[in-house]
Amino acid sequence: MKPRPLNGVFLGPLQSMKSITLVAALAALAFTAGCQTENVNTVERAAPNAQPNYVADKRVVTDASLAGKIQVLNVSQAIVSGDHLKIQVRVENKRNHGITFRYRIEWYDAQGMIISSPTDLWKTHQVQGRESGVVEAVATSPKAVDFVIKIQET
Amino acid sequence: MKTNSSLLALAAASLGLLFSGCQTNEVKQVDAKATQIINADQISPQEWAQAADKLVGSLLTSGILDKAPQQPSIMGISRIINNTQQQVDTDALVKKIRVALSQSGKVITTTTVGLGGKAEDPLAKEAAEYNAAMGGEKTVVQMPYWSLSGKLLEDKIRQGSSTQITYTFQLSLTQVKTGLAMWEADEQISKVAKRSSAGW
Repeated sequence: MKPRPLNGVFLGPLQSMKSITLVAALAALAFTAGCQTENVNTVERAAPNAQPNYVADKRVVTDASLAGKIQVLNVSQAIVSGDHLKIQVRVENKRNHGITFRYRIEWYDAQGMIISSPTDLWKTHQVQGRESGVVEAVATSPKAVDFVIKIQET
Repeated sequence: MKTNSSLLALAAASLGLLFSGCQTNEVKQVDAKATQIINADQISPQEWAQAADKLVGSLLTSGILDKAPQQPSIMGISRIINNTQQQVDTDALVKKIRVALSQSGKVITTTTVGLGGKAEDPLAKEAAEYNAAMGGEKTVVQMPYWSLSGKLLEDKIRQGSSTQITYTFQLSLTQVKTGLAMWEADEQISKVAKRSSAGW
């Protein structure tokens, strides 16, 4: 095999092989560094004292890709300030990197009518890789009895 | 020859379609309830509304508003200091909180008692004074039980070509009678931008 010039310097077959191996190793290292995960490790009480009031929910999935990334684990509710409904949605990021998604919570009165609010809008939320996070909201109207949570990919 | 003419016509039609798709002055209506553009050195109305929503949620969850002897209790708006480099309409910002609290039925905001004696609604104040004078009675002004004050802050941290900008919205609810802050909360909006997009 005829030696080839590399950066203007002629290298023997053995030297060429070494150079290629070195370049491949560096490329592999750079690739691994670029794929560093941002996963979150957690520690909590084995038997939690809290007794959340979980809501039996109904789900409609129109974006299977999003559902594969962000999973809604549960929805719980509480009454705050005497007569205001508060909900908490626990979501889990199924991916190994942080994800930002949008969500919107609509509140409905006892007649099933939507309650408009100046703060009713799409909001963003971030969860780190494999992290479970919480999205929460308090109904600004005491008339709110029901809710719909919408989740969208940004 | 006929084939060539057809091909030419097809190419011309394709070019026409291509250029019509490249129009630059396209305007479209967007959902006002969703952030469409994120800018590092500006906070969108939607981002402020998101912060306001969380602050209202925090206030309602605290249950402090239920401790006022009169329901709904009266709230006055005090000073909201803007310590950011942005021109922020603090009234517009606080309005979202006021409307949400009003909707809660826990609080009514006074528009005739303001900072430095300035009424937000001077007509209502004058009309009350006129009516009282005509009726030979003293003007009875409902004084606020709560006072809402706050501050907007901006922090920048630079590393290399990246800049992290954090906007903080602090609010305090003071019981006028005691002068004690009975509820306090802050909400942050944080963004990271490359130098070229932030313009510094």
